[in-house]
Amino acid sequence: MNKKVKTDSPDVFIEEIEKIQEAIPKRIDANPQNVEKGLAKLVLTLVELIRKLLEKQAMRRVDGGSLTDEEIEKVGETLMKLENKMKELKEVFGLKDEELNINLGPLGDLM
Amino acid sequence: MKIYAYGVIDSNCRIEDSSKGIEGGRIYNIPYRDIGIAVSDLDGRYQKNINPDHVLEHERVAEKLMESFAVLPMRFFTIFKDKEEILSMMSEYYDSFNENLNRLRGKLEFGLKVIWSGDVIKKRIAENNAGKGQSKLLSNGSPARNYIMEKFEKYKMNRQFEKEGHRDISAIDEFFSGFAVEKKLDTLKSDKLLLTASYLVEKAKQDDFKQAFERLKKSGPDGLKYLFSGPWPPYNFINLTKPEFKKA
Amino acid sequence: MNNVMLKSKDVTLLEILDRVLEKGVVISGDVVISVADVDLVYLGLKVLLSSVETMERLRGAPFAGAGEEPT
Repeated sequence: MNKKVKTDSPDVFIEEIEKIQEAIPKRIDANPQNVEKGLAKLVLTLVELIRKLLEKQAMRRVDGGSLTDEEIEKVGETLMKLENKMKELKEVFGLKDEELNINLGPLGDLM
Repeated sequence: MKIYAYGVIDSNCRIEDSSKGIEGGRIYNIPYRDIGIAVSDLDGRYQKNINPDHVLEHERVAEKLMESFAVLPMRFFTIFKDKEEILSMMSEYYDSFNENLNRLRGKLEFGLKVIWSGDVIKKRIAENNAGKGQSKLLSNGSPARNYIMEKFEKYKMNRQFEKEGHRDISAIDEFFSGFAVEKKLDTLKSDKLLLTASYLVEKAKQDDFKQAFERLKKSGPDGLKYLFSGPWPPYNFINLTKPEFKKA
Repeated sequence: MNNVMLKSKDVTLLEILDRVLEKGVVISGDVVISVADVDLVYLGLKVLLSSVETMERLRGAPFAGAGEEPT
């Protein structure tokens, strides 16, 4: 079966592929003992999605030059607080960034 | 006793070769109308811990089936309680299985992974952007403003990074487009992993396809590393329609 | 086995895992135990699965011969 894979640089590929594999979102554990953590993961994933969307929106508006200094200040403060709060909550529930993703089957991953 | 499934095949006949599958079970065909599903029985000797050998066995069986049939390989570790459940499942998915078997008959999957020096490229882009005097925006700001501006620098850098990445990806894809009937491209999964591609190729065109890879190695964009794999059963090209969705 | 041979064996296994764990015909639901039902912990090249007990718990029925100690 070794003949099936050809590469001059197996080391680099092994490293990168393993990195990606570890980032595959695992199923949400609905086990009764872990319900809390499962729910936290779900909620935080959704909050993270919203945060990312808000951030993207802000970037587009900065790019387009359509924000006043006051608006930049406000958006910056909101996003900064949101990101810090997310960091806190992730720590509290022992969740890593890669875990805050949901696999939607044929639709791929949420983020 | 449980039943381990390897792949849906376009035949309702007995499987003639004496291959053994997971835990040494004999491979046999459970027919359903004009198709079937290749399986083996799991008896009590089935180990508690799944290991890479099982994965290799699963793949070996799928590839052996590919020699004689059109195969829709199952995901690893698909186990049914009994024959009745298998037949019920075959009934539900029959139309979808048929469509896939007809579409994929006589075709093989090839894989291509490409690594580039993405980390170096990111640094170069960031340095170029900094050199353009953007950094003065950061020196007179409040924490909130600086936060936004830092994010914006990163945003611009990523956008440029993706632009360069897709330029190389298009150049690479050009080498294969003429020889593949379908393709799936997964781009920029990590800084270094520029591309993970799967190509569906007609059996008759597989030598042409392999030659295209040799040409890519010689004349592709600079600084790239390649991993070429195949032929595989068409894991990446199965489109299953779950039966419920059809009810309108 | 020297280093180069080990690496190419690893890469082959990774390429196979890439396909068989997430792709192919994916049947989920009540009729089947699938890889998504068991805790598949991917640690580098080692694929560790939780024991048959997880499968039994999920299906509510004992697996024949599940009396051995896990290795």
